[in-house]
Amino acid sequence: MKIDLVQAGDNAVMTLAGELTIYSVAATKAELLRRTHNLQTLDIDLSGVYDIDLAGLQWMLIAKRLPATGVRFVNHSAPVLRLLKLTNLGPVLGDPLPATGATATGVWS
Amino acid sequence: MNDDILSQALATFVEEARDLLDQMEILLLRAEQGDSGDGDLHALFRCAHTIKGSGGLFGLAEVERFTHAVENVLDRLRNGHIRFDSELAGLLLECQKCIRCLVDAAVGGCVVAPERSEALLARLQAYSGAARPLLADAVSNRPVEVPERAVSVVSALSDGSVEASSATPGDHWHLSLRFSRGILHDGMDPLSFIAYLSNFGTLLHVETIVDALPEFAAADPELCYLGFEIALQSRATKAEIESVFDFIRDVSQIVILPPDSKIADYIALIDSMRGEVGRIGEILVACGSITAHELEQALTKQRFADPATPLGQVLVGSGGVQPAVVEAAAEKQKQMHEKRLVEARFVKVPADRLDALIDRVGELVIAGAGMQSQIAALRRPDVQESSGILLALVEDIRDMALGLRMVTIGEVFARFPRIVRDVSRELGKKIELRISGAECELDKVMVDKIGDPLMHLLRNSMDHGIEPEEVRVANGKPACGTVELNAYHESGAIHIEVRDDGRGLDRERILRKAVEKGMVAPESKLSDHDIDRLILAPGFSTADQVTSLSGRGVGMDVVASNIEQLRGSLEIESVPGRGTTFRLSLPLTLAIIDGFHVGVGSAHFIIPLDMVDECIELSDCIGHSEVLDLRGEALPFIRLRAMFGELGAEHPRPRVIVVRSGNRSAGLVVDRIYGKCQTVIKPLGPLFVKSPCISGSSIIGNGEIGMILDIPALIRQAIEQSRSRGRTAFRAPSPSQVLESCAHAKQGKTTPFMNSVHS
Repeated sequence: MKIDLVQAGDNAVMTLAGELTIYSVAATKAELLRRTHNLQTLDIDLSGVYDIDLAGLQWMLIAKRLPATGVRFVNHSAPVLRLLKLTNLGPVLGDPLPATGATATGVWS
Repeated sequence: MNDDILSQALATFVEEARDLLDQMEILLLRAEQGDSGDGDLHALFRCAHTIKGSGGLFGLAEVERFTHAVENVLDRLRNGHIRFDSELAGLLLECQKCIRCLVDAAVGGCVVAPERSEALLARLQAYSGAARPLLADAVSNRPVEVPERAVSVVSALSDGSVEASSATPGDHWHLSLRFSRGILHDGMDPLSFIAYLSNFGTLLHVETIVDALPEFAAADPELCYLGFEIALQSRATKAEIESVFDFIRDVSQIVILPPDSKIADYIALIDSMRGEVGRIGEILVACGSITAHELEQALTKQRFADPATPLGQVLVGSGGVQPAVVEAAAEKQKQMHEKRLVEARFVKVPADRLDALIDRVGELVIAGAGMQSQIAALRRPDVQESSGILLALVEDIRDMALGLRMVTIGEVFARFPRIVRDVSRELGKKIELRISGAECELDKVMVDKIGDPLMHLLRNSMDHGIEPEEVRVANGKPACGTVELNAYHESGAIHIEVRDDGRGLDRERILRKAVEKGMVAPESKLSDHDIDRLILAPGFSTADQVTSLSGRGVGMDVVASNIEQLRGSLEIESVPGRGTTFRLSLPLTLAIIDGFHVGVGSAHFIIPLDMVDECIELSDCIGHSEVLDLRGEALPFIRLRAMFGELGAEHPRPRVIVVRSGNRSAGLVVDRIYGKCQTVIKPLGPLFVKSPCISGSSIIGNGEIGMILDIPALIRQAIEQSRSRGRTAFRAPSPSQVLESCAHAKQGKTTPFMNSVHS
């Protein structure tokens, strides 16, 4: 998992690229905690996530609970969208989803 | 890492699939003969179903697709829509073979030509009654993009597989899934199970339960905190849906409620989850499994109920659930539990681990024997006693370790009924196979190695031995030929006979052919036995007609040499017009034997103890004779000293060890007798693998190297010598030469000694 962080004051954008799976979630969580001190908002860009499993989904839910920082997921990749659709976790996470992923039609309620 | 787990799981799948295919084969053969019971059809269906299911899990689309078609036909058979006839059984047998190839192809085995499976599918179509609604549904329920399915969870989830929950309450399955925390660590992704469920029908609604998720700091992202409530519209049976969760049922909480379950069942589910999940009721409503109104009613009822009485009981008491149903469910559960217990009695262990264990046990035996001889020199009875106990334990462990490798020969025999059936059809002969002694045990390595030689012998018997039907009838024999496979234990060896009641070996023709090929001088006089053995010579074939089965002259010599590699022997008995028997004799194990330790000059030799009959003294008056008088019988004997060119100190009164192999005996003249010893067979260096009269080497307790004598070869030689005195005896390599090769073997200790027979 490749993680880039661009910080602008209290706000930052973190870009994830790679597979968000059981093999990378522990390291990614540690990294999230280490690099996001004193942030007010954090946008996590998922456009580079080409594979995701249940552990990855769970990581998203855990990331949402990052203390004192408002976490928002943006630019969901098609695989992420597909799993959110299957599990109906979109509303639970509460972020607006891109209308069109690469293959997802994005209709969920 | 991912690949590693996957390939391991795939190997398990392939192994299980092969077991199931073996089962199918037995059942189908039985069905073909028309004596299959009702249970057989169910068993057949289950086999096909399981192969299809797990094939799908591993993304083996072709296996899944093909087996699905077979399963459909089996389903119709099971339900009595169609009946078994020999044609259908034959077709299904071919399909079974095709599935086996497809499974093999998954692990890089054979490749199946698509035309072949397509042709079979087309023939299956005739039986699947395409117009029947049952089948039509089963097909249409499956998404069209079969090939991609289950390759990865993400790609498997086609759009639209999850539809808005529009179904009316109660007409679908409700699944409640809570997984063990460690399931992700076990290499399983619960989402793959959910994705796989879509194979059974339509996922109406999936609700993910996140309530168990802890706060950020406490959450370990590698544990599984999520649960699922699923509404599934499907025509599958409960057992089929349950089978999806076979792998995880023990460690997870899986509740499956069938369509039209009583509201009470849903309430019971809510009740069981109450501690864990507060909003399960709302989730059930979201899934469309119950209506909001029903929930309201049930919860109100619960509020008024006696708080001491669990809700489930209230419902049973009020007639919501019938006690009989509960009882039946409990009984069913008990059965499942017992079944699982039976399964748990077997542990699958990779063969190489077992080999490593036996290798170590071999070393232990050697070390123990060494210690024993050192302790004996100490003259300390107390120490000697405890080391005696230790040695006895080591011997026990040796026997048990070797026992682990023992499997019944039935494992090899099991594939022959099919072969006999196929071959007899191909040849247009009626042939019956009789098997006896399938329960005889022998080493796993042997079982693996004798399959091919046996198959060859069997094919030869069918092809060359059994006459065409009209010839048999003309000769007053039953029209149906018989081939027998018989295994039995005798004097530390296993004997396997392949016997046919055919025409017997045509010795005249064999001899003529041998002379033609220049293998035998035209004027030579050979005994019947020698002529029979000619068919084992390389490049010999008597078949006038080369068939696809045998007759190309590459078989019998390969069979003979394969058997020799296993330290076994092959005998032929043939009566013209009555039949031929091939008798394979093989040692039970290849690793450790009880040996009889003798000395000649400075060299040590080991004779397999099973073959030792008695020890006698060599009388002085024997002179240079090659035969001695044993209680009135002539016993040929060999002086090992001369045989191996041994020059060390001679004993004034040499002994004769009488050894026996099969029904033939011979004497071996030695200087000293040390007695019984445990012998771990070590390979000879490559130079000496072919040396006659020595079958291996071993390290004796005192650290010296002993040669293991090849007794059948020695007996043959002794008999030959006594017949033709004056012919120069073969000079075997001297022990010092062999010692050198053993030193090599000892250095290269990484080579497990079991490999000696592999090469």
